[in-house]
Amino acid sequence: MGKSVFLRRTGLIVTLLVCVALLVKVPALPPYYVRVADSILIYIILAVGLNIVVGYAGLLDLGFIAFYAVGAYTYAFLASGQFDIHLPFLIILLIGAGTGALAGILLGFPVLKLRGDYLAIVTLSFGEIIRILINNADDLTNGPQGIAALDRARIFGLPLISPTNFYFLLLILTIVVCGAVYFMERSILGKAWRALREDQDATRGLGINTTGLKLAAFAISAAIGGATGVIFSAFQRFVSPESFTFQESLLVVLIIIIGGVGNIVGIAAGAILLIILPEVLHFAAQYRLLIYGLVLVVVIVLRPNGLIPPAFNLGHVIRKIQALWLSPSNT
Amino acid sequence: MLDYLLQQVIFALAIGAIYGLIALGYTMVYGVMRLINFAHGEFFMLGPYLFTFTMAALLALGGLPPLVDTIVAIVVSFVAIGVLGIAVERFAYRPLRAYGRLAPMLSALGMSIVLQNAIRVTVGPQPVHFPAIVPNSPIEMLGGMVTTTQLGILAAAVVLMAGLTAFVNGTRIGIWIRAASESWTTSSLLGIRVNRAVSLIFFIGPGLGAMAGIMYASYYGIMQPTMGSAVGLKAFTAAILGGIGSIPGAMLGGFLLGAIEVFGTAFLPIVSGGAVGTEYRDVFAFAVLILVLLFKPAGLLGETVTEETVVAKKDY
Amino acid sequence: MKRSTILSTLAIALMSAVSPVAAADIVFGGSAPMSGAQAEFGQSQIDGAQLFFDQLNEKGGIKGNKVVFRPLDDRADPRQGTLVAQQFCDAPEVIGVIAHMNSGVTLPALDIYSACEMPQVVPATNPKLMEMGYKTVVRPVANDFKQGALPAKHVSGKLGLKNAVLVHDKTVFGQGIAGVFKENFEKGGGKIAGTFGVNPDDVDFSALIAGIKRENPDVIYMGAGMPQLALFLKQMREQQVNAQFIGPDIGFTVDLIKQASPAFAEGALLTFQLPPYDSSPELVDFTNRHQARFGRPPGPYAALGYVNAQVIAAAAEKAKTFDRDGVLAELHGVKANTLLGPVAFDEKGENVTAPVYLYVVKNGKFELVKE
Repeated sequence: MGKSVFLRRTGLIVTLLVCVALLVKVPALPPYYVRVADSILIYIILAVGLNIVVGYAGLLDLGFIAFYAVGAYTYAFLASGQFDIHLPFLIILLIGAGTGALAGILLGFPVLKLRGDYLAIVTLSFGEIIRILINNADDLTNGPQGIAALDRARIFGLPLISPTNFYFLLLILTIVVCGAVYFMERSILGKAWRALREDQDATRGLGINTTGLKLAAFAISAAIGGATGVIFSAFQRFVSPESFTFQESLLVVLIIIIGGVGNIVGIAAGAILLIILPEVLHFAAQYRLLIYGLVLVVVIVLRPNGLIPPAFNLGHVIRKIQALWLSPSNT
Repeated sequence: MLDYLLQQVIFALAIGAIYGLIALGYTMVYGVMRLINFAHGEFFMLGPYLFTFTMAALLALGGLPPLVDTIVAIVVSFVAIGVLGIAVERFAYRPLRAYGRLAPMLSALGMSIVLQNAIRVTVGPQPVHFPAIVPNSPIEMLGGMVTTTQLGILAAAVVLMAGLTAFVNGTRIGIWIRAASESWTTSSLLGIRVNRAVSLIFFIGPGLGAMAGIMYASYYGIMQPTMGSAVGLKAFTAAILGGIGSIPGAMLGGFLLGAIEVFGTAFLPIVSGGAVGTEYRDVFAFAVLILVLLFKPAGLLGETVTEETVVAKKDY
Repeated sequence: MKRSTILSTLAIALMSAVSPVAAADIVFGGSAPMSGAQAEFGQSQIDGAQLFFDQLNEKGGIKGNKVVFRPLDDRADPRQGTLVAQQFCDAPEVIGVIAHMNSGVTLPALDIYSACEMPQVVPATNPKLMEMGYKTVVRPVANDFKQGALPAKHVSGKLGLKNAVLVHDKTVFGQGIAGVFKENFEKGGGKIAGTFGVNPDDVDFSALIAGIKRENPDVIYMGAGMPQLALFLKQMREQQVNAQFIGPDIGFTVDLIKQASPAFAEGALLTFQLPPYDSSPELVDFTNRHQARFGRPPGPYAALGYVNAQVIAAAAEKAKTFDRDGVLAELHGVKANTLLGPVAFDEKGENVTAPVYLYVVKNGKFELVKE
């Protein structure tokens, strides 16, 4: 008995070490792989953010990319020659989260009494309105031309240049966001969201302010979207409306569904699959999207609850570690 | 100015009729399955392609008068795409029934990518000229100008909608469909073969979509692999606007969206004194949609969502 | 079971993605949208370049080395474009690229290419791209400045038309080129009666045209893609708007005449960067070869893809070493005779003589408008 605990504990340590080693080793790969990893991390953060609305509160948001766009243009306005404003990166990161949240609340207020598909179509409209406004407001955003030559991001004087720099920045942000969302999920707020998802009316009957709950979900998820947009734009050093299409919103929803709704581990798996898949399929040339679509359908049909089983979530992983650690090894 | 107004009304009716026809497909599927069938736009796109192939095959065989050829090709397209619709439901949606509403919706999205790209790689990505089925000649009318194609589209839309309403309300199979859309479990308990009703829906919906596609291609003289996704989203908006699940609502939504778009293009710059250009048309359309939903949360003719509506209790 | 099948399929796919390249092969990268709404244009460019490299290999390649062309899809997405750029940079065997078709995709990618000193031939025609100060880029094809200016001078000068309406699709290309037309048209004494934005995927312009009819313009310039140019032309003639119609290079294809119908297309003016397809034996040969190789006539940008390939190959031909440094050293000095005539670059990397030709549709065919 004691031996098996020892073995399992060793196995766990090895697994954890391998995970950490893999994450740290990514920058040793050629820059292309690091860039792909950057993309994956960006979409993990976006999907974890959107998951608050879709997975926890059970509201379908098809215009999530609008908040990402708001964040991206926040950086472009505040760190470029566009208005000749050059604020430090970390400050803009906070402002971006703020403008994202503000946009979330602006969208949230009028629409939150809508339900189901009607809410979905209104969020979709909102996303499209934001994109078209950006595309049309030539004086402010340069319209379709986009804003180029954005400032290089600096953190405490250190410039972020290579994909590797951004990899570590994104990795830290991913861990922070996942951690924060994990604790939120287990807090009273998370439980209220779940109640909302299961039955709105019963939740309201319990005296819970459902509108406030929905608004909180929208604001927090939009803040995460906004912050991610800031990083994206600092990384590309160029923003244009074509990065924020309806297809991008759908991609983030797809990541959540493919991975497993409400499950952070699943979302990570979903993002990895959906970002790597098109890269792997480059060899297929014009058949690329055809195969991509087929894989989507097959994966959804074979695993309707997501790639990762709902039981295998972040909580489960953490409990497993705790249990193994706290169990007396000498009995 | 009156002439101008009249002319614009005619344009709005023609565009609206097409949106309405596609919206019918979205609304029928939604009514029974509560599924946003993202692949519907692709059935619309496949219609004219299949029609063209069938026509070419018939011409190669020869021996039939052109009118018969055309009718045969239309029927073949309707049936073939209807069957494809049933197959898509059977393989991509039915296995997902027990898994909430998001999984089938995204499976539909995947199907849409598959169908669109299947045509792109087999026929090519370029837009192809599509010959007009009925000769297109202009007719002067009350100071405005109408073309025969526009009249044909309007007539077809009205006939199809009336036929569909009569079918759903008046026939035995129609009653199955309505029962299934009221309550899935109750209907199966009452001995209604729900799966058969669903298959029927997935035959008629895509078939109608294909018809709309042929009309559309004939009206604009063009077909291309991406036409379904562009128009599909608009038609879906129209279905929501009219109240998704309602057949007259889909038609009304289509006409309304047509009117909003034409207004956004033709009058918005005039009304705003040039401050808001035609490029704000879609912003205007989406804003109207949001406003309508704020006051009528289930669309214009949709069933009002009440506290008691069980379906809506659990959103996703 | 099922999962392992998917995984093994992926693994096989991953392995085959890295196709083996013989040591002596010369590899060029190419990137354009090959899927999505713009696939037609991107694919035509890739096809054109492929055609040239095939031809080159038939003649024994570059100094006896076989040339391999490696096209990658950028989906017209800026983020995807940066990934493609990095992939080319990471592959040491790639010693030159033809990338990208969209200005919005090219802009963020320029940084990456220049960081790895990748010789780059730019197909995107936005004037701004060559003003950014990158030393690794050249552009053989005329930029939008020239393409917008030529028809403006022609209609305001030679035809004496002074009242124009602009329609554009709010893309970098459409809006940009319409702006250039406007500037030159006004310089020539013309007046712009109105500017109208449409969506890139619109097909119904009837309401807009009825509005334009009230302005009674004698010129309509449209900065948009296909099939929008053809559809607009058709619908404006249906409403009996008889103004002179002008469009950019994308419309220089028989599809425009077919889709708008020959009667309605009659008299339309279009600009293109190449002399008429039947004007030189090279161009006739190009058209025939394209038909033979791909089973269809050249797509909208096929000839330009061919020219871009000619330029990068010419730089490699003169290179002392077959690596990026070798090609880069020769890139700006390239003097080549291409499908569009002689090519030589100024210090910014723009082609000094990049010609633009004006065509008119006559009897269902394009005819060169002589100056």
